[in-house]
Amino acid sequence: MNHPLNVSAMTLTCSAGSGLDQVRQSLRQKRSGLRANDLEPCTLTTWIGRVDGVEAARLPIALADYDCRNNRLVELALQNDHFIEKVQALTRRYQSERIACVVGTSTAGISCTEEAYRNLGDATRFKSEFLLPRVHTPHTSSAFAAKRLGLDGPVMTISTACSSSAKVFAAAARLIDAGLADAAVVGGVDSLCQSVMYGFHSLELVSDQPCRPFDQNRRGLSLGEAAGFAILEREPDHSFGQLAGWGESSDAHHMASPHPEGHGAVAAMREALSRAQVSAGDVGYINCHGTATAMNDQVEAHAIRQVFERPPPAASTKAWTGHTLGAAGIAEAVFSLLALVDEQLPAGLNIDQLDDACSDFVLTEDMEQRVDYVLSNSFGFGGSNCSLIFARA
Amino acid sequence: MSVDLDILGIGLSAPGLSDWECFQSVLNGKTIDIDSKAKPSTLLSARERRRAPAAVKLTFPAAEQACAMAGIDPADPLAVFSSGMGDLDITNYMCRTLADQPELLSPTRFHNSVHNAASGYWSIGAGARGDVTAISAWRDSATLGLLEGITRTETDALTHSAPVLVVIYDDHAIGPMHDLWPSDSAFCAALLLAPPNRGETMARLTIELCQDQPRHAPLPASLAARIDDNPAARIIPLLALIADPARGDLVLGAEQGPALKIRRSSTGSAIGTEQ
Repeated sequence: MNHPLNVSAMTLTCSAGSGLDQVRQSLRQKRSGLRANDLEPCTLTTWIGRVDGVEAARLPIALADYDCRNNRLVELALQNDHFIEKVQALTRRYQSERIACVVGTSTAGISCTEEAYRNLGDATRFKSEFLLPRVHTPHTSSAFAAKRLGLDGPVMTISTACSSSAKVFAAAARLIDAGLADAAVVGGVDSLCQSVMYGFHSLELVSDQPCRPFDQNRRGLSLGEAAGFAILEREPDHSFGQLAGWGESSDAHHMASPHPEGHGAVAAMREALSRAQVSAGDVGYINCHGTATAMNDQVEAHAIRQVFERPPPAASTKAWTGHTLGAAGIAEAVFSLLALVDEQLPAGLNIDQLDDACSDFVLTEDMEQRVDYVLSNSFGFGGSNCSLIFARA
Repeated sequence: MSVDLDILGIGLSAPGLSDWECFQSVLNGKTIDIDSKAKPSTLLSARERRRAPAAVKLTFPAAEQACAMAGIDPADPLAVFSSGMGDLDITNYMCRTLADQPELLSPTRFHNSVHNAASGYWSIGAGARGDVTAISAWRDSATLGLLEGITRTETDALTHSAPVLVVIYDDHAIGPMHDLWPSDSAFCAALLLAPPNRGETMARLTIELCQDQPRHAPLPASLAARIDDNPAARIIPLLALIADPARGDLVLGAEQGPALKIRRSSTGSAIGTEQ
């Protein structure tokens, strides 16, 4: 039998912190990264999880043709937690051709495409400074990360909206299980842009206040940006936890609304349990998708109840980060692994009155507790669902 | 390490390459008739077809043909949709509207702007509740789409019984994006993959990663031109090998990362359908 896959290194950069130490501090101090919208030229009244320093970040000169907000955020993230050095050490243990790079994103370089159109005027062609073919594609950040890290294995982008960077764990595990790679760098990145600000606004899903996942009076989501990365390998010296199982499913229902009974979410959680070969009662904590839209939180609570006779403690960390969309999967995988390692289960934030649908299991106070398995849910447009289970190493 | 798999069905959707029969006749030297278009989707009603995003109109006919050829309900396969650029028509709409009048952005077109719109609509239209995913690898999307499909036929004990539908597509460029994606013809091919001996096979393939340069037996000029025009059409040499086993091995390349060495192998029984 194969050794289980371990997360031997990880890092996260989001509005709640740049690197694991800052993220941990924000969790302990209940310090949200959300701020009043100041993302020009967007004039909407809302709160956003914007990362400081993205504009000033610089890519290595040799990779200048990847320059865009998404990849500057990748560069910031890779600089944290000695992640680049840890990948360099990985490339000494394995051939670089045997290390895959799988990154999830939904926004990719679209903020640069938006800017190119804003600068178009009456012209039919982009100004020369926007003629960056490696930026204007959904694949930009996987390609950049693999070049930046010197990885020569398969390079793939998963772009399934808000489940994107949860699914990277499943795709990387399949490559390794099939013998097509020995190890993988997985990650996710999404950056704030006009498309998501005005897009979610047009769907009336954006709150005018900081988001309040699972609160009875929640008014919608807050958007955010983040980049996170992890190394997956079989027998590392150090492990944050094991990828015990994953489940992927489709709602087959609607592009922008979850199935009202949560069919797809239930199927994803059950498949993850089945693949991990654990029972629902073994799961000690759930990092919920918990976007704070009326529909998501209600359907997710209902779905959890169908899978867990007595749901374990659960919470959403989106009130710290905002909904980071294509980066939500990796961000919340990191939060889940920190819960395992630190033996500290984060509660929700901004909750005055829990929704009745989940008042018996969503935490309003952090718990200090050692747990063996943590489940992380990510659900996206197109009815794309992914649940991950991480086990104590 | 090599992987064996069977091809159970193939579909195409591109101007002049409207289905498998049409592709085979062009491969055998017939002139491309660019007015020949794929028959429209039957999973969508006429009204849904009119409203559907361009990526759905492009991909559904090919995906449906591949399932029909294998006699498989479109709801059954896992599905991998792979595209370098996604829906360029919607990208053009989104960016123009955001530049001019952002408050007027259409909510429907926004949720159709996600890269997994085609795969999401496929799940809805086909009633597919297994995993339906959407990937991108820019100009390498044909190779990486196939690779993601291969890993799903190979390893996954929980889902092993389901065939895997791989849909590789890219649209022609629209508006100012033409300078970045200089493609004039849309292209989509769908392949239904399965582990060996799960159904009547068109071809058994043995596939392994390699570091070789891309290579394949010569193709008619009209097909070679499509490969030069649209990176999704880089899957054409594999389609040609499935049509004609005498063409020998090929290497499906990637500009970043390993290539795939692909050869026909014996099916070990007389159930092959080549004539």
